[in-house]
Amino acid sequence: MSDGFTPGIEDGGRTTAPQPRVGATGPGGFGRRRFVRYLMGFSIVSSLAMIVTPIVGFLIPTRTASGTEGGRVLAGTLDTLPIGSGAVVAVGAKPAVVVNTTAGIKAYSAICTHLGCIVAWDAPANTIVCPCHDGRFNPATGAVVSGPPPAPLTPLTTAVEGNDIYIVTG
Amino acid sequence: MTAEIQRNEAPGGALGWVDSRLHLGPFIAALLHVRIPADAKTFYLGGITLFLFGIQVVTGTLLALYYSPTPEAAYESVLSITSDVQFGWLIRSMHHWAANLMLVSLVLHLLRIFAQAAYKYPREITWIVGGGLLLITIGFGFTGYLLPWDQRAYWATVVGTEIAGDVPLIGSSLLLLLRGGAEVGEATLARFFGIHVLVLPLLLGGLVALHLLFVHQQGLANPKRAEPRPGRVTAPQPPEKLKPFFPDYILDEVIAWYAVLAGLVILASLFPAGLEPKADPLVTPEHIKPEWYFLAVYQLLKLVPETVGVVAPVALIGIIVLLPLLDRNQEIRPRRRPIAIFLALVLLVAMAVLTYFGGQV
Repeated sequence: MSDGFTPGIEDGGRTTAPQPRVGATGPGGFGRRRFVRYLMGFSIVSSLAMIVTPIVGFLIPTRTASGTEGGRVLAGTLDTLPIGSGAVVAVGAKPAVVVNTTAGIKAYSAICTHLGCIVAWDAPANTIVCPCHDGRFNPATGAVVSGPPPAPLTPLTTAVEGNDIYIVTG
Repeated sequence: MTAEIQRNEAPGGALGWVDSRLHLGPFIAALLHVRIPADAKTFYLGGITLFLFGIQVVTGTLLALYYSPTPEAAYESVLSITSDVQFGWLIRSMHHWAANLMLVSLVLHLLRIFAQAAYKYPREITWIVGGGLLLITIGFGFTGYLLPWDQRAYWATVVGTEIAGDVPLIGSSLLLLLRGGAEVGEATLARFFGIHVLVLPLLLGGLVALHLLFVHQQGLANPKRAEPRPGRVTAPQPPEKLKPFFPDYILDEVIAWYAVLAGLVILASLFPAGLEPKADPLVTPEHIKPEWYFLAVYQLLKLVPETVGVVAPVALIGIIVLLPLLDRNQEIRPRRRPIAIFLALVLLVAMAVLTYFGGQV
């Protein structure tokens, strides 16, 4: 028999246990049964890897550049954004918050550093506020004033040309 | 001769026609004609959860016939289901309420099992599989929530996936895997739809089958007497009082299902599922809140650092799922398990308080 066993012997309805054949497992060597067992284990593991690898690879999305291309985006004018006012504007696919402070025009990424909500300008409180957990940021520096955000807002570069306010990207 | 007798005793009609070919009689008899402890008190919660899952399969399949899983069309298709399609509002509202009730009944089922210590020997694996069912049900809620593509859906998903992104070590990969990109967008919607209507139902169906198989093999737990453990001498006890599973228990269960169905239709009619303005990735609405079952985590994240707010619920779920392996006390009566009962009560109160404050504007 190929498995190295002699067949069981029928004896009046009883079957005796199969006996290992001499030479199936060499003394201290790498026996046939063990070899077949390793081969089976290897086959199972490699089959699983063969199935899982393309599935995982398929599920991981291609990392695309999520930033905007270099350039300038018109964020508003000094008429629409007088001192003490602010607005959320789209810079490419991402939102930015622009605030006209006494220290000049400031712009930050509008994505809250806590859980990714979009911040808004709170004119009465003179702060940038996140509506999710009421995190508040200093409009002049982007620093956290109160609430759970762990880091300040990411600053963006601004430029004022005449009456127009631009956010410079790239 | 024996075969002749069996053929004569087989039921007639269509059932007999099928049975004479497949011989399913003994199989069905083995499933139904079992005896359960007369003292077992299940409150029919497991069966109710299963019934609600059945409702989700039916209503979900109907909704999928009209739903379009793209950011451009999703919101309008849900609007159309709600206002144009005949009984669309009812089907959608029943899907919405059955999802909530399914989670409620599942948690009550879990609490019942905990209180009666039915997770202990020999039912440890049944409990762990049940823990998997709880996780999948939460996954259903999370993925289904985005599908209407309204403001609430969108921002709940932004926050939810951001929370997943804070899991130590694997956070950023998990975030990318969930969203299918850097932001919540078209890829996220396609992913969530696929997971919601294909992956999770298949997983849940498989695990439910396994769960039921285990329950059938082990029988219902008797809350008044612990299972004898191998190798341990126990005092002799009077014979256990038993009652038939079919038709006694099944009949009560079906009555409970009808009561749940009636409640579901009433809830869907009086409080139909709403729809907020279409998702706007540039504006987070004020006082945005996730669904009620995520409020505790949402509130926790307001009070503690992100890592703690993420690791604590994950660790808690891990402890709940692996409870039978951690709790080695063999006692099943609640009075003899003061620490376990006290810790569970503290946890429930803490979650209720966090949920309450999380829901406050």
